[in-house]
Parts: sequence; structure tokens; C-alpha cells
Amino acid sequence: MVGYNQGAVLAVKVIPVLVIFVVGQVLLFAQETTRAEEIQAERRKRAESLEPDEVSRLEKVLRDFKDKKILERITAGFNGLRVKAGGLATGGGFALGPEYLREDLAGGRVSARGAYQMTFRGWSKADLQVDFHGKGANPLWGQIYSVRHDYTSLNYYGSGPDSAKSGRSNYRLEDFATDATIGGSLWNRKLILAASAGFLRVNVGPGKDARFASSEMLYDERSAPGISNQPSFFRGGAFVEFDTTDVRTGPRSGTYIGANYSHYADRDLGAYSFDRLDLDLQQYIPFFNKRRVIALRNRTSAAWAGTRRTVPFYMQPVLGGSDHLRGFRPYRFYDNNAMTWNIEYRWEVFAGMDMALFYDAGHVAPKFRSLSFRNLETSWGFGFRGNARNSVFLRFDIGFSHEGFQLWFKFNDAFFPRRVISSSAQVAQ
Amino acid sequence: MRRKCIFWLLFSGGILLGQRFRMDDPLLREPAPINVAKVYPRKFSDYYDFFYSTFGKPGDQNRLKSSPVRAMGTNTLGEPMAGAWWEPRHYYYRMSIEDLVRGPGNSKPPSDGPWLVVAAKNEGITPGFTIEDVNKRRYFLKFDPASNPDIATAPDVLVSKFFYALGYYVPENYIVEFLPDRLEVRKGTKLRDRLGKERPMTRRDITEILLGVPKRKDGRIRAVASLLLPGSYAGPFRFWGTRKDDPNDIVPHEHRRDLRGLSLACAWLGHDDSRSINTIDFVVEENGSRFVKHFLIDFGSALGSATDKANSPRSGFEYLFEWKPAIVQFATLGLHVPEWAKARYPAIASIGRFEFEKFDPLLWRSEYPNTAFSNRLPDDEFWMAKQIAAFNDDEIQAIVRTGQYSDPAAERWLVKCLIQRRNKIVKAFFPRVLPLDRFQVKSGTVVFEDLGKPFGVGAPPDLAGSWSLFDNERGRRRGIPTSAGFQIPVELKDSPSGTYAVLDISAGSAPDPRISVFLRKDPKSIEIVGIDRTWKQPIVPPAP
Repeated sequence: MVGYNQGAVLAVKVIPVLVIFVVGQVLLFAQETTRAEEIQAERRKRAESLEPDEVSRLEKVLRDFKDKKILERITAGFNGLRVKAGGLATGGGFALGPEYLREDLAGGRVSARGAYQMTFRGWSKADLQVDFHGKGANPLWGQIYSVRHDYTSLNYYGSGPDSAKSGRSNYRLEDFATDATIGGSLWNRKLILAASAGFLRVNVGPGKDARFASSEMLYDERSAPGISNQPSFFRGGAFVEFDTTDVRTGPRSGTYIGANYSHYADRDLGAYSFDRLDLDLQQYIPFFNKRRVIALRNRTSAAWAGTRRTVPFYMQPVLGGSDHLRGFRPYRFYDNNAMTWNIEYRWEVFAGMDMALFYDAGHVAPKFRSLSFRNLETSWGFGFRGNARNSVFLRFDIGFSHEGFQLWFKFNDAFFPRRVISSSAQVAQ
Repeated sequence: MRRKCIFWLLFSGGILLGQRFRMDDPLLREPAPINVAKVYPRKFSDYYDFFYSTFGKPGDQNRLKSSPVRAMGTNTLGEPMAGAWWEPRHYYYRMSIEDLVRGPGNSKPPSDGPWLVVAAKNEGITPGFTIEDVNKRRYFLKFDPASNPDIATAPDVLVSKFFYALGYYVPENYIVEFLPDRLEVRKGTKLRDRLGKERPMTRRDITEILLGVPKRKDGRIRAVASLLLPGSYAGPFRFWGTRKDDPNDIVPHEHRRDLRGLSLACAWLGHDDSRSINTIDFVVEENGSRFVKHFLIDFGSALGSATDKANSPRSGFEYLFEWKPAIVQFATLGLHVPEWAKARYPAIASIGRFEFEKFDPLLWRSEYPNTAFSNRLPDDEFWMAKQIAAFNDDEIQAIVRTGQYSDPAAERWLVKCLIQRRNKIVKAFFPRVLPLDRFQVKSGTVVFEDLGKPFGVGAPPDLAGSWSLFDNERGRRRGIPTSAGFQIPVELKDSPSGTYAVLDISAGSAPDPRISVFLRKDPKSIEIVGIDRTWKQPIVPPAP
């Protein structure tokens, strides 16, 4: 009995130990004895569970978005037909509409586009443009541009620097303009000279914004010249542009000088013929490797008419808005002459965003000699600018003035110059 | 009983599992790769790579660990093994100036005769063509921007030579000059327009693409011709994780020493565009094996270049987006000016923004976080720093000359910058460890080189060695109190074959930094089989 028990104990305790030892030795010989074998064993193990190395669903979406040029296709549209956003005068709200674009006409020498846009406030714009390009180094170019605006509620506070905020009214501006421009680019496109001629028809009617009085209820022909009758105009003009800025759509250095001259001839009434000169001077002073920039701008506009003639109010220079007096409502000041000074201190926050502190000062005056540094309207504020490859594609500015504050959400640089290539009414450009 | 089982299993079968050194250590070359069957070409999204790397946590990140993971894929000497990623070159087997200039090869430039355009890129940052010469070799032709001659083509060539000498696989890049009429469109070649629509390519497309390319007075155009790599395309590699379809890719990339150390090489050469998009895997057949080989490509945006213009001064100093600097700039209204914004650059159009005075190798950053770069530890840094230190001034000059800068001032400035940046790298990273290397046993003594000495950052003069016998199975040490210095003790000399000893080298009484040199008694000699470097804690972490 005892012997049996001892045998059982032996079987229970010793045999498993022996088995384990034998298994261990088998493992010992089975395992890799060299580094190379160890690496190979790991590779063989991995080889048993290979699978295609695919990207995640999110990454695939992002990859295809770029590779299939989704953004380009959206912006380019289908067979030239696409959606166009923005581009109307400030104050009408977000504009959207179809656009048809062809850039491949005459072997790429001619491009044409046409668009119709409307805002949620009922403003609309329809335009047609044909561009003729010189190929390669050919510096000559031409353009035919036709546009119709219907802005149903433009602000009007009366003419002159003393117009009151409480004098806000609104009017409807409908115009139709067609212009032809021919120009040349010289000195590596730094200098542009052009001449243009066109035709303009205007109609001013009651404003549609029921919150404010219609302009003709508050202002008469004397305080708002041209509010009763609107003639059609012939326009001839020229402009010169000298641009040494590094990036046109978000400059950090260089100089921009633009000068536009136009003569508008009243074809119907003979009372509203006038001349107009617009100057735009910009200087960008970079420091700390262009990560800090002082941007300076002066814009001066002068419109003058002969004896017994006046400049219609809708063709007068205006101040107030997203790119000059940013603490004031759009079109806050009208008069024959206007001047603004802007200074911005811009700094890079990170690679895709700059910030800016700005100070705007300016005023309007009935006579050019009345423009001075006294009695300036001022505003100040700060802003954020999203940029890609140094081009500003998004801008958010907050401007403050004694009349309150304004928020601006725009898709361009604050000082982006606009060439006068259309005879359209000033406010519509 | 269970406990006993485990014990015995470990004891009997696991004896060798616990071995620190195997009989074939140190392995200088990876074992022959397992043949790959099917490797699927893949393509990544730049946007995803940027956003995930900037705001996510790709891979296994040392910065999130209390105890960082040391580099893998190395042999017991701490050197990456020659294989599909890297192989020892200039530092290990001194290359002659001719070899350095030759780089991956300089005998197969595009041949004379017409070049057939078989594909074209008319979009992106810079335009380019794929051409086929009369020898049926294919090349990618890339150009400089009109505003900055040589700014992209020169770095593409000369930086590839540096990376080659540092051990990486790179394509053969050649500077070529040609008249446009040498390019002919091969029948059937298609071109994708800016909307991705394919259409037949015409001669006129060539003319238009070349419009924005700078031309010499005689009408010749300068370009870089990059020889198509051999094998089949398998897409880029990531700087984290492994390829799921590659059996030989067993080390997570973020823990590869060759990729961690690459960060220093990129810092030296101002290659901030060192991201997946500029890498490529090819399935190649070499020495009877079919495997995935990993290449670095596209160096046109190194050395102060952004390919189509001068690089941003931020480049190399801050990521494209980084919370802390952005918040500082936001909060201080830009009144806090980062040091990099004060850097001065000479007005050399073909260089862009490349300098050495503000360059800080400890804080250098790529365009956005790179997990392998961020994971680097002082031994990874030393590994690359010693390779960079191996380039003398003449060698640097010779390689820079392969960029064929039209402006001699550009070449001079570049050489000066690279020499100064090399010195800064050495001075920044050598002192983190003991900069001793090239250990050998000579006449019964362990001898080594102090790599820092020529740069004035040599090891302290009070270096001392202490010896221990090393139990390779259990990893235990038994001190040899009678032995000091670097002479091999009799306890090892007289021991049977297979005995291990370790020599700990440190300066003065400080325990760190320290180097442990492991030696093995072999039948006929005593060999150095392992090197382990430790350093003072905490270390200044690399860029997050």
C-alpha cells in the first residue's frame, strides 16, 4: 500500500517535472541560436499575416480630394459651368450664382466668362467678360467687359463730411456698362499701361430696405445730385499701374502705385459730365525677415465737373467699408473728393495665419483743396488673415469708430487694388 | 505546480532566450531578406499626414513615455545593420573625394540625342517632365523657378550625394542643360490639365510648360534629371509603424535608428521637407532576393530652398503650426520676436534662406512633427553626428561643387554654412554622450578614438575604465576590482572561450555619461561584441 502511494507520489511529482524538462530542451533546440535566425524567425512569423497596406478611410478621402482635384473641379465647374461666390459690392450679403468660363478659346489666346449672381438681400449682378491675351512674352492684352448691377438697398447718408449717422437712407441703383480696354505690361509686368472706353446707363430708384427711409424721401436734387434724373454716359480713360510688391494677393514688401483717370460725358442731359482721378499708393515695409510688415496706403479720389455741372451722387467717391474706414458702415460718406490713410501692423502668428492691428483715417470733402489732415474720421481695429503660399484668401477684421464697430469677413487682402476697367457707378465697382 | 512549470520552462528552454549576445553578434548586415510576394503600391495624403502628425499621436511616441524606447534594428554595437534602409558608408569605410562626388552613380546621365517626353506635370509647385533617352532610360526632369536660378536643381543633386555618403539610398540625380528642341513628345503621351482631365500632349504643351523656366543666354535650360529607380514602385514609407505587406519590415519606423538619426542630417542640410511624400519604396531584386528597398527622394527644397522660391525663415525653427509659438504671437501682438526672425541672409537668389548663426541643431524642426525624429535619443544623435563630423571641409566643398551653382558666391556661402552647421551639430550632440568610438582591441588593450577632440568637445581628460566579468545568460556583472584602465584583465585573457567581460568607461566619479564596451573571449582572440551608451538624465528632449 505504502509502495503504491510512494509510486503515485513519484508519478504525480516527478513525471511532470521530467516532461517539462524534456519539453524545455526541445524548445531549447527548436529556438534560434543566432541573431540572424532570430530575425528570420520574426520575419517568417510576420510573413504569415501579411495584408495590403491600405490607408484609412479618412486619409483616402483627403487623398482623393487632392488627387482628383475636387476643389479645382468645383471651382472650375462642369464643362466651364461653375458656381461663383462673392464679388458684389459690400452690404448686399453673400452672393452666389452660376458662372460659365472658357479659357481655351482661340488656342488659349481668348478667354470668356459670364456670370449671374444674387445675394440673399436681393442684390444681383450679371456680367460678361472676354479677355485677349498675348501669348508668351507678348505684353499686350485686351478686354471687353459688360456688366449690369441691381443693388436694391445702397446706403446713403447725404453728401459731405458732416453727414449724420441718423441720416441713413437707402436707394436702388441699377446700371449697365460696357467697356473695352487695351493694355500692355512692361518691365516684367511691373508696369501696366492701359486705356479704356465705355458706355454707362444708370437708374436710381427707391431703396428696398424697409428699415430705412428711401433716399428720395430725405434728399433732393440739391443734396443728392442726380437723384431725380439719371443720364447715360460715355466714358474714356486710362490707367497706369506700377507694382513691385512681392505677392500681389498678400504683399509683404514693395510698392504699389495705381492711377486711374476717367472722363464721363453726359449724353442726355449735359448736366452731369465730370472727370475723375483715383490714386492708390501702397508701401510695404518688411522687417524681421518679412514676418512683420508695416503696410501703408493712401487712397485719394477726386471728381470734378465743369461750370453748371455736377457730379451725380452715385458716381461720387465714397468712404466707409471693409477696406478703408473699417469702423464705419459701408458707403457712410459721399462727396466729390475723398482721401483715406491706412496703416497696418501685420505679424505672422503661424505659417497659415497673420494678424494685424490697423488704424484708418480719412474724410470726404466737396473741394479737393479741402482735403487735409484735419477733421479726419478715424477707425481702428484688428484682424486675422488666413494665407496660403503668402496669398490672403480669408480675412476677418473688426473695426471700431465713434459710430460703433463693424465686423468684416472677406476673401481678399485689405489693400487689394482694384483697377477701373468698367464705367459702372463708383459704388458698384 | 504551475509556478514550477513556468520556472522549468524558463530554465530549461529559456536559457538562450536570456542571452544578451548571440554567437553571431555583432551582426553587421541584416540576414538575406525574405522574398516578398505581392507589395501593393500605395499613396498617402499630404493633408492627412500633416494634420495627423500635427494634431494626432502617430506611432509609438517617446515623449509620452516615462521610460523612452531605445532604438531598434541595430546590432549589439549600436549600429544599424546594412540592409534595405541603410548601409555603412563614409564614416565606416572612408570614401574618397571621387566616391563622394560620384554618390549613388554619375555614369548614366541622359544620353545625347532626342529625349522623348513620356509624361508631364504642368501643375504643382514646379513643372516637370518624364523623359526617355535613346538608351531607354527614364528620368524625371525638374526645373528652377525664373526668380531663383539653381535654387531647386542644385540641392537636388548635391544633397543626394550627402545622403548617399551618410548611408541612405537615393536616386542618381544629374544637372543637365539642353535646348528645348531636344524634347520630343512621344506619340500617345497624355497630359493632365489643371482639372485632372487627360488629353493628348502636344509640342505646344512643352513650350508652354517651359515658359516659366529660366533660360541661359544661349537659350539652354538647366534642369535636374533624376534617374528612375530600379524595381517596381511601392509608394512612400511612413515615419511610424511598419508596412503590413512587407515581411522584412519588423521594426517600427519610429524606432529605427537610421530614421531617428536622419533628423540630424536633415537639420544639417536644411531639409525640412523630410516627410513621407519625399520617400519612396521600390521592390527590387538584388543578390537573389526580392525585397522592399527604401529611398529618400526630392531634395529640391533643402538648403534654404522652397523649390519655387526661398524658403520661409520659419523653416527649421518652428513647425507650420505649433501651439506655443502661435499663442505667444497672438498674445504679445507680435512684440515677441523669435530669434529666427532676426536671422540674416545674404542676397543670393540661388540659395534662398540658409544660414548658420541662428541655426540651433537641438531645436531644429521639420515642416511638421515627425515621430521618428521626435523619438531620437542621445545615442541616436551621436550615431548621426559622428557621421556628419566625418565630412571634412574639402569633402564638403567637393560635394557642394556637384550642385554646379552658376553664382560662385552661392557655392562659397553654402560651404561656409555647411561647415559651421556641422560644427554646431558636433558641439551640440557629442557632449551628451562620451564621444568615443571605433573601439578595437590592440595589444591587449581596448583602444578608441575621441571623435570630439578635433572639434574641441572631446571627452574629459579623467576618463577611467572599470572591468567586470559579464554573465551572458543572466546579464549579471561581477566586478574585477584589481583591474582598472583599458588593459584587458587577466581574468578575461585566461578565461575559457565564450567568456564575456565589460569595460565601463566614464569620466571622473560621475556615473553618466558612460560607455559599456562588451568583449568576448573567442578561441583565438578577444572581440568587441557590444557597445552601450548611457547619458545624463534628464536630457533636453528633441522637438515634440
